[in-house]
Amino acid sequence: MKGTGRFGCYAVCPQSIPSPMPNPNDPLDPLLDRWTGPADPSPSLAPEVWRRIALTGQGANESGGLWASVDAWLSRPPFAVLFVTCCALLGLFLAEVRVNRLQRERSVLLARSYLQLIDPLLKADGLAKSP
Amino acid sequence: MKRGLLVLLLGVVVGFAAHVLYFRLHRPADPDSTDGQLAWLRLELHLTDEQFARISELHQASSPRLRALAAQVAQMRSEFAAFENTRRATDRVDFVEFARFVEARRNISRECLDSTRRLVLAAAGEMTPRQREQYLGIDSLAEAPNPHATD
Repeated sequence: MKGTGRFGCYAVCPQSIPSPMPNPNDPLDPLLDRWTGPADPSPSLAPEVWRRIALTGQGANESGGLWASVDAWLSRPPFAVLFVTCCALLGLFLAEVRVNRLQRERSVLLARSYLQLIDPLLKADGLAKSP
Repeated sequence: MKRGLLVLLLGVVVGFAAHVLYFRLHRPADPDSTDGQLAWLRLELHLTDEQFARISELHQASSPRLRALAAQVAQMRSEFAAFENTRRATDRVDFVEFARFVEARRNISRECLDSTRRLVLAAAGEMTPRQREQYLGIDSLAEAPNPHATD
């Protein structure tokens, strides 16, 4: 007999499978006889369960909630790439700010040094002032 | 947990490396060296490579003479100080010696001015009118208050 979707071969068993014979000395019998069914849950069970769930959630939030969420974000490749790119851009920006500030400071000094380079009278002043 | 920490550290390292690399590449010139001053001039006036090469050559060529003149000026000043000390101590003035000294100082000063003027004109001749205007205004830039002044 052919199946409809998958390849395979099926056979039909002409004899019915006999049901297992009941075992008169089954060790589970006395236990089953003693079992009376589940007891009714205490009325305070549900509130207690919810209280414990709330406590567990609160503890997790307090112990590492912020880091856990940061870690979860950084573990995603797109956000990781974005984070590293932002760090690189921040580094470049701060370097540009630093270079600009230093250039402003040195511009006057360089102009004076250049004038000393081309004017011996100013250079002699500088030599006289230097210890 | 480890992966997030690694990404965090990687970001810090990449940011720091980018900062250091950019700063090293764009670090302002050293004001105490001739090369630094010429590099500053190139940046300030937006000189082309050819202009910079020619102007550097002019400065290098005149540098020994200007340095020698500066040494002469410094020597004249120290001689003048010694002359003044002698005058104060003995209350006497050798006018012939003083006149010779004044004449020598005047000659050196004139020579200094001529040398500087020649160099400035030669350098300005390599520049465009806009660059020249900016170049001749450098002395006003140098008169700005010193940012490193403590008082």
